[in-house]
Amino acid sequence: MTDVYLNGLGAFLPGPPVSNAEMEDYIGRVFGKTSRYRAASLRQNKIRTRHYALDPDGRALFTGAEMAAAAIKMAADQSETSLESITFLAASATLGDGLVPGLASSVHAGLGLKEIEIANFQSVCASALMAFKSAFLQLKAGEHQCAAVSGSEFSSRYFRPGNYECVEAYRIEQAIPFQADFLRFTLSDGAGAALLETRPNSRQLSLKIKWIDIRSFAHLFDLCMVGGATKEDEGWRFWSSFGDPVAAAQAGALHLFQDFDLMKRMLPIWVSHYLDLIDKERIVIARIDHVCSHYSSHGLREEIIVLLKRAGAMIDESKWFSNLYTKGNTGAASIFIMLEELYRAGGLKPGETILCHVPESGRCMNGFMLLEVV
Amino acid sequence: MSRVQSVMRGLIQVWSDFSAEIDKTPLIDKLLRGKFRLDDYRRLLVNHRQQVIEGSRWIARAGSSICGDYAEQRSLFLQHAVAEHRDYRMLEANFVSVGGELDAIAKAEKNIGTEALHAFMYQRASEPNPFDLLGAMFIIEGLGQKKAGEWGVMIKEQLSLRDEQVSFLLYHSANDEHHMREFETILGSSVLNIPGMERAIVKTARIVARLYRLQLEELESYG
Repeated sequence: MTDVYLNGLGAFLPGPPVSNAEMEDYIGRVFGKTSRYRAASLRQNKIRTRHYALDPDGRALFTGAEMAAAAIKMAADQSETSLESITFLAASATLGDGLVPGLASSVHAGLGLKEIEIANFQSVCASALMAFKSAFLQLKAGEHQCAAVSGSEFSSRYFRPGNYECVEAYRIEQAIPFQADFLRFTLSDGAGAALLETRPNSRQLSLKIKWIDIRSFAHLFDLCMVGGATKEDEGWRFWSSFGDPVAAAQAGALHLFQDFDLMKRMLPIWVSHYLDLIDKERIVIARIDHVCSHYSSHGLREEIIVLLKRAGAMIDESKWFSNLYTKGNTGAASIFIMLEELYRAGGLKPGETILCHVPESGRCMNGFMLLEVV
Repeated sequence: MSRVQSVMRGLIQVWSDFSAEIDKTPLIDKLLRGKFRLDDYRRLLVNHRQQVIEGSRWIARAGSSICGDYAEQRSLFLQHAVAEHRDYRMLEANFVSVGGELDAIAKAEKNIGTEALHAFMYQRASEPNPFDLLGAMFIIEGLGQKKAGEWGVMIKEQLSLRDEQVSFLLYHSANDEHHMREFETILGSSVLNIPGMERAIVKTARIVARLYRLQLEELESYG
């Protein structure tokens, strides 16, 4: 089967960088009060700046699809081919702009291309790797010669006060819980994209995709990062079963939250997946030159390092690259935005390898992708 | 990568699978859902006690199966057995402090999972130089150090108990780093020179993890 090359990368970060002090000017103040968990959340994730697709009054400047299309255009510009060569599009996001149809349709329309094949991937962060894998295999199988992959997120719109102030339990408390508020200070907006071809660039470096390995561990864990459901005594109740969306919103079944205790229990499973790839010699530690790991916050990184050192599976920290601290956690877009900056920095050399890692707490998933600089 | 790290890699993988799977057993799932009852805590203690009392005995048996070439390692096994052989008393005291009868726990039968676990342990401990049992220790110690403390805190909170009523679970979670270094020291001694030992340690860990889960799944199942 033919080899597949990542020949262009694009990153679209809306608006100016927003400092920690300015965040609530954009995402607002729930019940008119400064968040009591803001400082604790920022201490944990160590993010210093991020971008929002909102203006300070909370008005949307773009849609998620527009940001994805902008990133794809940048990836095409940066490659040696043109936008019109794309015949397959795989779009990923945690949440698209609407419920139906899939985001990929709107991204396609935004690109202004004639008819192409599309695929839509919705999960949390790991949906980016699902989209990558789909495009990778389409090209490998000879179905297409040029594909675009995108990841885009517009989380901030779900963090505006109105999403919480309608919840009856929060109205009584005049406050929202940490598991919801932490995400408001962790996730932000942006899009990233990659352009894939069955031939390498001729005048600039390409990243050859060696393999992509994604595993779901949903058989072992309950829902962890959730939007659209709430936990009742009998189990999960989804927003669609409340009779009307207003009732769902009032019951707290329409906003995002994350169970941190459950996520911590996922760490060993993610590490175990990595160790298994070492056993199978897909990952050879001595041959990894760069690591792009989409850990969602700095606190998780430290815990993973302890386990890796014990198993002799640690890749030297000097090889780790992340722009989480300046570009924010943009969910499915993060891995593209990281790769784009690493590539643009100009330090990559032919023969080097890049290990990409995207864990997802949603219902426990984990993915790796190995790239070789050619 | 050293041989010790290679064994640790295998053990961490077994542990990772085990730690997620054990959370799915009905009793622990109930605890994690915040629905634990005092009855459940008493059941956990009763079904745990037979394994705790046997633990130091199979370690002592394993020690006596170690030949003179490994005298250093034998000392460590025996010391470990001595350090733990009275732990069951703390567990019994916890049981009595939450309304259990001492006689009921002391005379409780082993459930069928516990029977299977111990038949395996004693069989292995009776083999010459049974260092594969280091894999068993990794799982059981890991459970004490990583899970027991978490469970202890949750049980204490859900049932509004005092520290001394969950002391058995809480006390095992201390000293994690120290135990782990001690374990790596034994692995780093000459035991890995025994042919096939690296693989045997990881395999025994996997068997023990499966049987331990069986013990938690088969509460009050006596045949």
